[in-house]
Amino acid sequence: MTSYVGHNGKTIVDRVEADGREGRLGGMLTIPVRREIAHEIISLSYGFFTPLEGFMNREQVESTLNEMELPDGTLWSIPIVFDLAPEKISEYGLRSGDEVLLEYDGSPIARFSMDDIFDYNTDEMSEKTYGTKDLKHPGVKRTHSYQGKFIGGKVTLVNEPKFNPPYDRFWMTPKQHIDAFRKKKWKHIVAHQTRNVPHTGHEALMKQAWFAANEDMPVDQIRTGILVNAIIGEKRVGDYIDESILLTQDALRQYGYFREDVHMVTFTLWDMRYAGPREAIFHAILRTNLGCTHHMFGRDHAGVGNFYRPYDAQDLLKQYREKLSIKPVFLMENWYCPECAEVTNASVCGHEKKAQNFSGTLLRSILTDGVKPTKKVMRPEVFDVVMKSASDYGVGSPFVTEKYLASRRPIFNLRKMEVQKA
Amino acid sequence: MTGKGNVKINVWINEERLDALRKAGLDRLAKEEFAGMMLLEVTCTEEQKDKLLEQYPTAKYDSSTTHSIELLPREVKDKIFETSLQLRSTGPEVIENMLSRGGGK
Repeated sequence: MTSYVGHNGKTIVDRVEADGREGRLGGMLTIPVRREIAHEIISLSYGFFTPLEGFMNREQVESTLNEMELPDGTLWSIPIVFDLAPEKISEYGLRSGDEVLLEYDGSPIARFSMDDIFDYNTDEMSEKTYGTKDLKHPGVKRTHSYQGKFIGGKVTLVNEPKFNPPYDRFWMTPKQHIDAFRKKKWKHIVAHQTRNVPHTGHEALMKQAWFAANEDMPVDQIRTGILVNAIIGEKRVGDYIDESILLTQDALRQYGYFREDVHMVTFTLWDMRYAGPREAIFHAILRTNLGCTHHMFGRDHAGVGNFYRPYDAQDLLKQYREKLSIKPVFLMENWYCPECAEVTNASVCGHEKKAQNFSGTLLRSILTDGVKPTKKVMRPEVFDVVMKSASDYGVGSPFVTEKYLASRRPIFNLRKMEVQKA
Repeated sequence: MTGKGNVKINVWINEERLDALRKAGLDRLAKEEFAGMMLLEVTCTEEQKDKLLEQYPTAKYDSSTTHSIELLPREVKDKIFETSLQLRSTGPEVIENMLSRGGGK
């Protein structure tokens, strides 16, 4: 029997009920959930968050925040919680031990076996997760928008999402990732976390990470691959649109900037918390569950504004190295050096004073003007794909606009089910 | 002409545009910014700036750091570049000429 092992040696969670069992759902109390919760239900059920089998109870939240681990000692850094307004809990008459049917976008999505209904101080949750209570931090803002009460318990997906193009080409469950790596005969897989359209600096980081991850394995038969795993979730105006991110990352391989046998692109449904160091730990856990053996961490991983120092994430990963089931590959930033006449890394280039840094603002300005960048900045095919995806999916812009948010095609749809209501 | 320009509009110059500038003898006006990407700095007056911001509400003026107009629509930036080439200038007459012809529309 094929084994699927994830974080801390735990078997990959699989809580997905086969189709055609909707008859069992009749008469259950139905509670609608918002997009954020629906995405986490999907991730929990397929095992992206192994060993979690559902939303955290109070003990798990406390242990995560205070000890950076689950009650059984497994490393864990970010609370995964289900929130509901107290008045809704009263209205539904919810109690620990109840099982309800969760519904998203008018369709049943999961069974939820509630084992704990609890309060938690969101100031404390913010400060321990993000190291700040400042509402300017998007994660703190999210935590403060929780609706007052939390419910812990296992979830079981009863309706598998059907992903729409172009997402359908890039969707894989953790088990499917592991199967794909086995098929490719990859022994080492280095994860590249992204929410960007790649410039040449990103491409060079991935290549540097490949060499680090290949370690002492022979190079005449390639057994190391790069998994570009994009984070698809909550979008803010000005972010790259999800479709552009996936299609441009894939274009790097399609146009030969990566060999066919060393590169693949997938995505995970996750709302970035911008928790810097703690989110880096979470990303390491997540990619372990996808079957990766290595994870690249660059400068200011998962940071936002000036809330974290550039290498805080790498420092925390070093601190918890023994409890990680994945090997971190630490890199400094890449820049363009006019003396070396190439994209190079701060760790090796001696022309720091002449270095030209890749900046998001600068790239944004170039792409907004629609001026094809030089090859030293962005691959021409990548630029063409950005512009095409802007036209196909982004109402003319590769960046998220209010118009895009209002009119974007859903990432996935759920099958309509006839379920008798309670 | 409406006076000396002290507000900047940065136009990105790639290899193709640099070639056009070279033919017009204006390539010396483009300065290298990043990895072969160059910027052409077109200036305009305060009055022209206000007119542009009125016509293009998505555009913003960065008064604190760069003193430049940002987020002008792509077509407008294209028009500014074309007009600059045509007039062989990067001064306020570029924007004046463009505005007199109905802006970038």
